[in-house]
Amino acid sequence: MTKPVLVLGAGPAGLAAAHALASVGQPVVLVDKESKLGGAPIISGYAKLVPSGEWARDAIGGMVRRVEENSLVSIRMNARVEAFEGEPGNFKARLSDGSSVEAGAAILCTGFTHFDSVNKPEWGFGTFPDVVTTTQVEQMISSGRGVRCPSDGRKPQRVAILLCVGSRDRQIGREWCSKICCTVSCNIAMEIREELPDCHVYIYYMDIRTYGLNETYYWKSQEEFKVKYIKARIAEVTSDGQKLIVKGEDTLVKRPITIPFDMVVHAIGMDPNVENKSLAQVFGVNLQEHGHIARGSYGASGQTSRAGVFVAGAATGPETIDDSIAQGNAAAMAAYALANRKDAVAA
Amino acid sequence: MAIHEKSLIRPENLKTHDNLVLDGVNVSVHWSTFIQSRVVTDYNEAMEEEIAALPGGEHINRCWQCGSCTNSCTVNALNPDFNPRYWIYLIRTGMESELLRDKDIIWQCISCNKCTYACPRDVFPEGVMKATAHWLELKGHTPKSKSTLFDEEFTAQVVATGKIEEGRIIRNFFARTAQPLLQDWLVEMVKRVARRLPFKQGLMMGWGAVFRPRTRKWAKASAAINEYVHEQEARNRKALNLE
Repeated sequence: MTKPVLVLGAGPAGLAAAHALASVGQPVVLVDKESKLGGAPIISGYAKLVPSGEWARDAIGGMVRRVEENSLVSIRMNARVEAFEGEPGNFKARLSDGSSVEAGAAILCTGFTHFDSVNKPEWGFGTFPDVVTTTQVEQMISSGRGVRCPSDGRKPQRVAILLCVGSRDRQIGREWCSKICCTVSCNIAMEIREELPDCHVYIYYMDIRTYGLNETYYWKSQEEFKVKYIKARIAEVTSDGQKLIVKGEDTLVKRPITIPFDMVVHAIGMDPNVENKSLAQVFGVNLQEHGHIARGSYGASGQTSRAGVFVAGAATGPETIDDSIAQGNAAAMAAYALANRKDAVAA
Repeated sequence: MAIHEKSLIRPENLKTHDNLVLDGVNVSVHWSTFIQSRVVTDYNEAMEEEIAALPGGEHINRCWQCGSCTNSCTVNALNPDFNPRYWIYLIRTGMESELLRDKDIIWQCISCNKCTYACPRDVFPEGVMKATAHWLELKGHTPKSKSTLFDEEFTAQVVATGKIEEGRIIRNFFARTAQPLLQDWLVEMVKRVARRLPFKQGLMMGWGAVFRPRTRKWAKASAAINEYVHEQEARNRKALNLE
């Protein structure tokens, strides 16, 4: 009997890895710090996912149930890994609940942390109640309450979505593109227009990066939902006491703009998980320059700098849910091969 | 001048005062020159919808500002101020005053449709130019263009008789545009035509000019065309909140 594979984090990548391993008969110990499985899409209350259009609670909820119902997956919630020692095929992890786990391999599916908009104070988050984040809008939609101004609950007449909040910004040490915010913002803009047809939605962008087939979201939002795109990086969000005032330069006409809005939405980026430094120490893996968990080379799916420890999903950098699931599956394959190697040799 | 070459300071935004005292300090002459702000303070959201409601403007909201239309434009090659990409942006963002600065050249589109074939998003910029020129006329920003007056004269004759009589079109068009009838090129053309024209043809043309023959049983068709035209005109005026 091989030792189980330790999967840390029960988001899309971790759930995919746990399910993949269990479905080939490999025991899994799935550890998550939260009291609920599902990772960011569930914990942060995402609405409809891109590109499937399925509600997060249905799509990711289904993955959660599938893992919960599998007897080969042992779930440890409200737990962190505090120590991790040993070698490939023979690791031992100590959890924060005092228990210990023997594991043949480990997969880190520890995800990301949403950028905290307070770190860009000039854009008004935390100062004006009607400045919100994409995550908050997702929650307004998924809760069924609809998109409303938090200050007084009114339906906004005009919404500005600011892209690249916490991404592509040397001033705050975030030099990466968070990859998903453009597509998510196009989708949110369409959802707002659908719920509130009289509400005008403007997206302020530097570049639109709805890569690959996500381009559909960019096209559809313009062509069917008449979302307007203004090429401008916003300088500041203030208020005249009644409305939010968005200031910047419309670079296509070289003109300064100060436009009133009812609601401003920050399309927040994906930071490395705030716990990455301690995770790196516990698991003895390297981080890459921006603080994400460093990946090995081609040919070793999800390999980290430490043999027997794999990584998948947004722990490696900004990642989509679909790609996180694919990486979870790939890392599961690699971990399975490694965890079963000794037995194969012994036989 | 292409948009990127336009000076950020426009002469009309420069304000000078011969005598100006601010907080007790005389700041006349040099220091009394001020540059008025060019800040865009709001979007006119009705504008795009109005132009999109006119024939040709339907797909303006597809534009992503790549500039293929302006780059492929025949008129732009001759007059760099003719910039469809820029106007589409002004319309979409509702910068009406900015658009009106170019109201006297927008009608110059020659409908070569090079932009139509260059546009990756099927915006139909040529149609948008037409709709915009139409919008400017309907809103009273520009007088009817000569081509509109010509079209009206031409259409009126077709609707009335089912036929066109060239001599009458030219006479009426010249009259409506305050042009003399006896223009050199016209006199020369008539002389040369008269020299070569078979006698019977000339007789028929003369007869047609005097008696204005109609297509037989035209009344019904005429009424139907009229009804449709009025319907469309009413629809356009309603879309622009006129009347």
